[in-house]
Amino acid sequence: MSYYLVQTLNALSFSVLLMLTGLGLSLVLSLMNFVNLTHGSFFLLGGYVAIHWIGAGAPWWLAFPAAFVIAGAVGLVLDRFPFGRFYPRTHLMQVLLTYGLSVIFADLMRWGFGADTMSLPTPELLRGVVFVAGLPFPIYRLFIIVSGGALALALWYAIDRTLWGAAIRACVIDRGIVETLGLNTRRIFTVGVVIAAGLGGLGGALGSGMLSAYPGLDEEVLLLALLVVVVGGLGSFGGTVLSALLLGFVTTFSRVWLPEFANFLSLGIMAAVLVIWPSGLVVRKMRPV
Amino acid sequence: MSTGLPAAPLLAKRRLGDKIALALVLVLALAPLISGDGFSLRFGAEILLIGTAVMSLNLLIGGGGLVSLGHAAVFGAAGYSAAVAAGSLGAQLPLMLLIGIAAGMLIAGIMGLVTLRSSGLFFLVLTLVVGQMVWELAFRWREVTGGADGLRGFPKLALGSLRLDTPLALYLVAAGIALIGWMVTRSFQQAPIGQALAGVRDQPIRMGALGYQVGRIRVTAFLVAGAVAGAAGAIYPFVNQYIGPNSVHWSMSAALIIMAVIGGVGSLYGGYLGALVYLFVQTEVSSYTDRWQLVIGLIFVATVILMPNGIAHWLGQRGVRGGRV
Amino acid sequence: MTFSESRLMTSTSITRRQLLAASAASALGLGLMRPVRAAGGETPIKIALITSLSGPFAALGESMRAGLELLILESGGKMGGRQVTLLVEDDQGKPDEAVRKVRKLLSQDKVDVLCGVISAAVALAIRDIVADAKALTFISIAAANGLAREASSPYIFRPTKTSWMLGHTGALWTYDKIAKEGGITLGSDYAAGREYVGDFINTYRQQGGKLGQQLWTPLGTADFAPIVMNLAALSPAFVYAFFPGADAVRFLQQVRDFKLQDKIRVIGPGALFDQEDVLPAAGDAGLGGVNTYHQSPGAPASAEFAALYQKVRNRLPGEASTSTYATGQVIRAGIEAVAGDIAQKDKLKERLLSAPVSTALGPMRFDSRNNQAILDIYVNEVRRGQDGKPFNTVVHTYPAIQDPGPKA
Repeated sequence: MSYYLVQTLNALSFSVLLMLTGLGLSLVLSLMNFVNLTHGSFFLLGGYVAIHWIGAGAPWWLAFPAAFVIAGAVGLVLDRFPFGRFYPRTHLMQVLLTYGLSVIFADLMRWGFGADTMSLPTPELLRGVVFVAGLPFPIYRLFIIVSGGALALALWYAIDRTLWGAAIRACVIDRGIVETLGLNTRRIFTVGVVIAAGLGGLGGALGSGMLSAYPGLDEEVLLLALLVVVVGGLGSFGGTVLSALLLGFVTTFSRVWLPEFANFLSLGIMAAVLVIWPSGLVVRKMRPV
Repeated sequence: MSTGLPAAPLLAKRRLGDKIALALVLVLALAPLISGDGFSLRFGAEILLIGTAVMSLNLLIGGGGLVSLGHAAVFGAAGYSAAVAAGSLGAQLPLMLLIGIAAGMLIAGIMGLVTLRSSGLFFLVLTLVVGQMVWELAFRWREVTGGADGLRGFPKLALGSLRLDTPLALYLVAAGIALIGWMVTRSFQQAPIGQALAGVRDQPIRMGALGYQVGRIRVTAFLVAGAVAGAAGAIYPFVNQYIGPNSVHWSMSAALIIMAVIGGVGSLYGGYLGALVYLFVQTEVSSYTDRWQLVIGLIFVATVILMPNGIAHWLGQRGVRGGRV
Repeated sequence: MTFSESRLMTSTSITRRQLLAASAASALGLGLMRPVRAAGGETPIKIALITSLSGPFAALGESMRAGLELLILESGGKMGGRQVTLLVEDDQGKPDEAVRKVRKLLSQDKVDVLCGVISAAVALAIRDIVADAKALTFISIAAANGLAREASSPYIFRPTKTSWMLGHTGALWTYDKIAKEGGITLGSDYAAGREYVGDFINTYRQQGGKLGQQLWTPLGTADFAPIVMNLAALSPAFVYAFFPGADAVRFLQQVRDFKLQDKIRVIGPGALFDQEDVLPAAGDAGLGGVNTYHQSPGAPASAEFAALYQKVRNRLPGEASTSTYATGQVIRAGIEAVAGDIAQKDKLKERLLSAPVSTALGPMRFDSRNNQAILDIYVNEVRRGQDGKPFNTVVHTYPAIQDPGPKA
């Protein structure tokens, strides 16, 4: 019984990690209708930033905001050029552009940070375990569950309950009308991209404690994030959360029961979902721009 | 830009021009043959085969707006099938082609059926997932596919008693497949069904309202693309006497898309241009710098920003602007 | 997109300009590949290193290059009286690309010696090509058993270990010193994992040991938690495990995270605890691990190299750098035996097969049946080194371990 409880917690922590990887992508995709495949690069960058930050001896709790800021800054630059021209283009063109950029970033990061696997020097406070029904469960994973959950909640609130969130949602549906209301839609998009990039970096910083950082992680994370966000359905945050939970639990428990076929099973289930619900788990009606 | 169609005689002249054009291209490419070394020819054969796969992908992307991130699975599955069959049935060219085409059509057909109701990003991700499932199969079914090590040691390509494993022979076979694949793809595009596919790409709802069976058209497109890619894929293992799971991995599919975009999504021979550029940079440039991926990425991004319709279309634009129509 | 634009997009006819451009491009492409070679005179010996500078093994690739470059530097850029040129080629971790590169190296660049190769898949893929071309090849890292058995070739030397050598000695040590039953195995489900674990199981059972479950996980597992929990539930006497690179780091860290590091003994082939590739990232999570390897940073044979490497790269060497350095030493010994006349391949091979070569991996003899090195295998235990960081400490040496070879 306690064994299953801990495995459930494992699944939950992995789900939250998946959700973290998908957060920024979900934001740009659902809200701004922009497919950003450089998301994996932001994730990896955040990981490297956090590792070097803590490794350099700076206060650990600032590492995560630092990752957010640095990744966000890169997002700002990208928004200037070349993202800006591609917001109104088709998904295919965005996919191509951002994929090419991710290849460039991957090489630049390998050049700058080296090819070695690097892991996060976990701060003292977050090391160790708590005992759940007699079995050990790492504190860091609890930290991820809590912070990831809090982030998701904060994001949901900002998007669903604030004026800024409403403005961003409106921009995607009908940019012209929003402009007539006197709002600078270009700036709204910029803010959206910056926050999404920052979230990617933050996710990477948090996730580096579990995944480490190495060249190739950006591609792996991108794949997971894309899977989670698309299967969840575009235009909705809840969909991302739902599919993160689905993928997290399927992966974890298939590793418990059928470890050799875990990957095949996870892929199969995600494919089945997309076949049964071709527009993802949660569909929000959006008028195409 | 004029919307008038070129007059019939001009069209006929162009069609003849195509044939001459292709012959000339082949002749020019054959020139190094006389003094060429084995490597260039084998490399050329690879470029032709992969270019054919890219061309079949173009059929889906340019012709149908179906961006498949699982096309390498079609290509690679054909290669595996041919290599495995060669082990037990011998590597006769016609048999290999047959098996490759069948395997290609099978995988492509499955993809077409599975993605019937999907479009856009969902289509992309679904083809990616199905492609990866094929990869998992290739990676795990060690007894048949050799797993991570891949397959080697299968018989060399032959036609009857004529050995086809010399660089020159492989190059000619690859060129032949490229030529036939090109003719097949072109006839498909110009046939009513190809036009219907273009219609489905642009206005699926209207096409449905006009009575076209959108699903059947899509699956047919997949089958044709699968056949062409399958034919090329069947010969691929024999160029290097090796095939591995990397040939079906999604990164290979992504590379095919990159090649398609660099060459030009709308044009048929763009696939070969894209394959040439990409493989050339990957193999030659990487000998001179560690940063070859940066180079590829930059070329790709530059193409997307400056020449979004690829090199072929850019050339085409130049030609048309300079001339008339 | 206007109607005419879309027509252009699907247009298949070609204008003269397009044709010229296309043929120029193809001719240029194929033509550029023709070799540009200066003929005659004192041509240097060309050694090509096939390694991964991108892709999953990039870190190992960098170490390999560093090791070989050090050796060449030490030799003053000369071997057997002739200049040596090093060409480094990136196989990107893909066998397809490796095959292309090898063909290019042999026919265009006309290299004299090939060496390197990290992954078994690459080694097997290029095996036929180098055997057909009769090109001298030295495999520095790839451990595939096949290369010492059915896929061996008179022209391929392997100055490094086979999976069997590590799995076998691992089983011997585990049976003698750790436990005679109650252990389980856990491996990455691909060729290398299957070989290491398979060989371990064979020898362990031959000795009379009893094993529990065999667990496998797919390559590139992000979260080992479910498996680690399984381990906790099973409470085995030991776990014989193998994971490459980043997977190894994550596994060890997650074993530590779940506070199982002191409860479960982790044993594996050396790559699981590689001094350069895994331990720096895994940190204290690696302590207590036991591994069998043909390389150890503290071994007397590699002491000199370790010191040199530490000075140049500011880190202790792992297998990748040491093995490639040793490969360089073997190549040098061969070239010196023929006084630089590399065309005399048979004499070079004879030198390597007749007497041991002194290398950083110890005195290296080659088995004449399959050109496989016969090596001392060290049993390393990861303890705290002098600088407080985890260090592979030699606790035992199995001398002159020889792969069973073609009969196996």
